[in-house]
Amino acid sequence: MSWFSSTRSVGLRKEQIPVPAPPEPDVHRSLALAALFQEIRGRRVTVLDLGSAVGSNVEFFSQYGCKLFIEDLYAALSSRTPSGEGDLAGPEFFSEFLSVPEDTRFDVILAWDRFNYLRRKELAYFGEQLRRYTHPGALAFALMSYHKQIPAQPYRFKVKDERSLIYDRRTAAERPSPRYVPAEVTGLLKGFRVDRSFLLQHGIQEYLLVRE
Amino acid sequence: MAWKRDDPPTPSHPEPTATTPPRPVATSAPAPSPVSNEPPRRTDRATIGPSIFIKGDLSGEEDLVIEGRVEGRVDLKQNNVTVGKNGKVSADIFGRVVTIEGEVDGNVFAREQAILRQSGAIRGNITAPRVILEDGSRFKGSIDMEPPKETGKPAAAVRTIEPQRETLQPEQPRETVRTEAAGVKATA
Repeated sequence: MSWFSSTRSVGLRKEQIPVPAPPEPDVHRSLALAALFQEIRGRRVTVLDLGSAVGSNVEFFSQYGCKLFIEDLYAALSSRTPSGEGDLAGPEFFSEFLSVPEDTRFDVILAWDRFNYLRRKELAYFGEQLRRYTHPGALAFALMSYHKQIPAQPYRFKVKDERSLIYDRRTAAERPSPRYVPAEVTGLLKGFRVDRSFLLQHGIQEYLLVRE
Repeated sequence: MAWKRDDPPTPSHPEPTATTPPRPVATSAPAPSPVSNEPPRRTDRATIGPSIFIKGDLSGEEDLVIEGRVEGRVDLKQNNVTVGKNGKVSADIFGRVVTIEGEVDGNVFAREQAILRQSGAIRGNITAPRVILEDGSRFKGSIDMEPPKETGKPAAAVRTIEPQRETLQPEQPRETVRTEAAGVKATA
């Protein structure tokens, strides 16, 4: 069975040249995450986690008794375009990537910083898939970077508590950031509107999007 | 002055089942040290060795360690199931505590707990009241953490799983016999 080998392939979405070790994980307050947990408290929700599988997050969400889908978007993109300069990931890619049962409807989408690793058209295609598998009122949590550069690989985010996140940077290498602005986000993610947005001191804009 | 209390040794086996009758047949679990004065500890654990390939349904009443390949269905709802580092399973796994160190392509239903070790990989869904994913493990699918219903069946086990036919591969008859003798049997 080799179905996981691709997720370990690196591809050119990761920097090829040797780079220094990544810094130690940082802890940052998350206002949008706090708002998210306030919304879902007491409900049994279905969550889509677009990051990599993180044990402490699973343990954290276990207290909500939820159903958690883990689909590592970056790993799937990396395995698709090993050269890093391939064609855009189209609707077919995202349809295959999000191959969940047809009647699945997510209440919460944890996008983390993964939208930063999608080109604008890709974000629009992916938004269509997300809209398909969400009911109105579903929430999406996303972190967009305002920096010119972002880590060559996404952070590994760990929920420390309902109000704070651990940013675990996995590489010191960097790549250009798409620098999405709020109007672009809602323009590309059709069917979603910004419910709350917070610009944090470390150059990250937090979004809590809601499906209309 | 306090005297030194001699606590009984902690069993290495996670949870021995008192209801399981003792079996005279040794399993392939690690053998006790030959210099030990203690009587050999009953392990109640069967092992499917690395060279074994089983296609079909596995059921039984004792714990199971899979180091070989299994295709079909592993049904040991009352017992612990471990897929070892060498294990490759294309099957739905039912157990009490299910620990994955190898690769599983299928759904995992654990009555108490599912554990995905760092070396492990699952492509499928996990249904268990408690799930542990070690960092570095690979997982693609869903995790349903709803507590088990009173029936003792996991909540997500409503999915119908058709019984599958089994074929024991003829090239490993000796190992298969040993596995059956240890209390885990493959059924047609």
